[in-house]
Amino acid sequence: MTTQWGIKYAVHIISTHFGDLAARVCECLLRRGPLSKHNIVRFAETPLKQVHVCLLLLIQQNIVQAYIVEDTGGMDDVVKQTTQYMVLFDNIIHRTRFPKFMTVVAQELDKGCTELFQSLLQHGRLTVEKMIQIQESSYGEESVRENLAKLVHAHFVERCPAVEPLLVPPSEEELAAKKRSRSAKVAAEPDIMERVIDAAAPMESKRFLIIRDDITIDSEMADDGSANVGEKRKRSFLASNSELGIKEEVLWRANYEEFLHRFKHNACVEDVRQRVDDSAAIALSAMLESSRRMESKVKSRTSVPVPINAIYEEVMKDEAGRSMTLDDLREYLEHLKCDRGANDSYSIDLKSILELAQNEEVESIVLKRYGEDSHRIFRLLSKADHLLETSKISKMVFVDQKETPNILYKLWKDKYLHMEKVTVVGSQQCEFLLWKVNKSALWKNILDDMYHASLNVSLRVVHEMEQGSELLSLPPEKREGPLLVKLERLRNIKRVLEESLRKLDDSMMLFHDF
Amino acid sequence: MSKRKRPDSAAPAHGLTEHEKTIYDLIKSKQDMGIFSQDIRRETKLLPNMVTKSLKSLLAKNLIKEVQNVQHKGRKHYMASDFEPSAEITGGSWYHEGALDKTFIDLVRKTCLSYISSLKIATVEMIYDAIKRSKLFHVECSQEQIAEILRTLELDNQIVEFRSTGCGEFASIPILRVCYKIAKKPGSGKEPKVSPMASIPCGVCPRIGYCSPDGIINPITCEYYNKFLDF
Repeated sequence: MTTQWGIKYAVHIISTHFGDLAARVCECLLRRGPLSKHNIVRFAETPLKQVHVCLLLLIQQNIVQAYIVEDTGGMDDVVKQTTQYMVLFDNIIHRTRFPKFMTVVAQELDKGCTELFQSLLQHGRLTVEKMIQIQESSYGEESVRENLAKLVHAHFVERCPAVEPLLVPPSEEELAAKKRSRSAKVAAEPDIMERVIDAAAPMESKRFLIIRDDITIDSEMADDGSANVGEKRKRSFLASNSELGIKEEVLWRANYEEFLHRFKHNACVEDVRQRVDDSAAIALSAMLESSRRMESKVKSRTSVPVPINAIYEEVMKDEAGRSMTLDDLREYLEHLKCDRGANDSYSIDLKSILELAQNEEVESIVLKRYGEDSHRIFRLLSKADHLLETSKISKMVFVDQKETPNILYKLWKDKYLHMEKVTVVGSQQCEFLLWKVNKSALWKNILDDMYHASLNVSLRVVHEMEQGSELLSLPPEKREGPLLVKLERLRNIKRVLEESLRKLDDSMMLFHDF
Repeated sequence: MSKRKRPDSAAPAHGLTEHEKTIYDLIKSKQDMGIFSQDIRRETKLLPNMVTKSLKSLLAKNLIKEVQNVQHKGRKHYMASDFEPSAEITGGSWYHEGALDKTFIDLVRKTCLSYISSLKIATVEMIYDAIKRSKLFHVECSQEQIAEILRTLELDNQIVEFRSTGCGEFASIPILRVCYKIAKKPGSGKEPKVSPMASIPCGVCPRIGYCSPDGIINPITCEYYNKFLDF
């Protein structure tokens, strides 16, 4: 479930990138969940024609995913199919990360690839022909194809998902399994999002496959008897046109997941570098680098087990790692509490590294916002992970018994702590207050605050730039004296705010994406 | 069958009025916990002026004493002279005259830090022994007290807790024993990370809950941002 400020920030991003109309459609989908086209018209109070155009744009930019649901209810036994539109919140937030994606591509590949990737980010999704057309002034057809092949090989670019997949209702067995594991109500929303994304995703074997004549290959694969029923059904729907009239063709788009894998690994490596040392960071980096291709989901708890020799090969690629012996590497991996599995392979619990980083982030906020005593109390409760009584807290942290309840109350009021009252009835009625850090609820609040802060910083950037628009439009020869000082100040403001936004985004990824 | 207690001739309660005796017995029964004056009134059901008068008389005879309760500093708390106030009343060993003895705590903290720094890696016992040998403090600190101090230093990120592996730098410490090292100091090139959220006004804003783009408090007119961007 997206938080309130998350929605507001997402709407702001869409409004800045694509205008208010698209933002209205997005807000409607973000607040109400998946809707049919006619319901969007009704709830967003926007004419059908405009909704149609907005949806086309949002699908093109990978922000909305359409899917077909079968409705078997009604008087007769006719199966009715309706197209629903679902907004992909994460993909909206990823738009602010495009400069980071570009930096990664520019570091690994050449200029031609970077420019092609930039076009893909700008246009959302493109066919090979369209890419060639866009880049023909600077690059020839063959070099565009080569650049695309490099981008696909590096997994920076992937095939687009199906435009309108059919959402097959979960089987009775799956439903029963879900009921056993958790309540159906809680699972309802993320479940549908996952199911739609899974249904739309191209087959893993085709996701990074470039074939000149796609149609031939597709038909060959359709004839292949080994393909299972679900895949055949999926493909039969790929062939049809969508409600919006989008033609099914082979389209390519930036693969956000690959960048998230890299950012997650970087975050873990930097955390280890800070907490342990550079050599341990090199060992971890090599291990994650050699396992990245095998990882499936970004949010997986542990890394994929990799044989020690493969890790060592990767270590050797790093100049600083060349002084490391195999025994040194083993020692570092064991120091990092990596799990040793079969065939001398190692894997690591990434979640625990990230949890430490998350704790550190929140503690840092508490220290700056509430001071040292509050920070000590918060850390005590966060580490204890169970309820503690007021006077006991006071004794454990050396904070005055009078002052402790005030600090605890302040933290509780701002939702940093959870409080429980216990009344003991004896000769006298005594009331005890017990406190703890409820991490799952607090992390959600912190993330919401981060969305709020990002929105505020973004709005301030827009405001500052509007204020200085006259200054910025001055011709270079007139930029002198006090005007030049003012211009420099404006540039500094922009730089500081954008840098803050960039770093804030790293924290948001830590709490939401990893 | 309960037997009536025989009056003790050696008891100091000899020669007290009936009210004074009732109050004295009640205070004495509370031992090192003492009793709050209003509770005396409630439990003895005597009139307030009688209680006040009796308490004054008992104080004058040095049979009871007034003690300060760390949790309720304004209240008058009484205890029989034979008892010393419990840790619950005084606040424990780190309290002096009803207030947290911050000067002493700071001194012990600094001493512990300097020992860990010189020993590179140390257990509670090692620091306790070193302090005991040095005779730095007039008051003796117990091992538990040193452990309490180390826990707060760890909570303040000044030291880091480890479990000894028994090899390498932990060679002198038995395996799995809890030991401490100085945390990486700011300025050593590896400063502890400050959250990006804590470095912008919104992260530490006391009014963030009231802030919205269209509200009275908003990011455009925000005073904290004006100060933040005042180059």
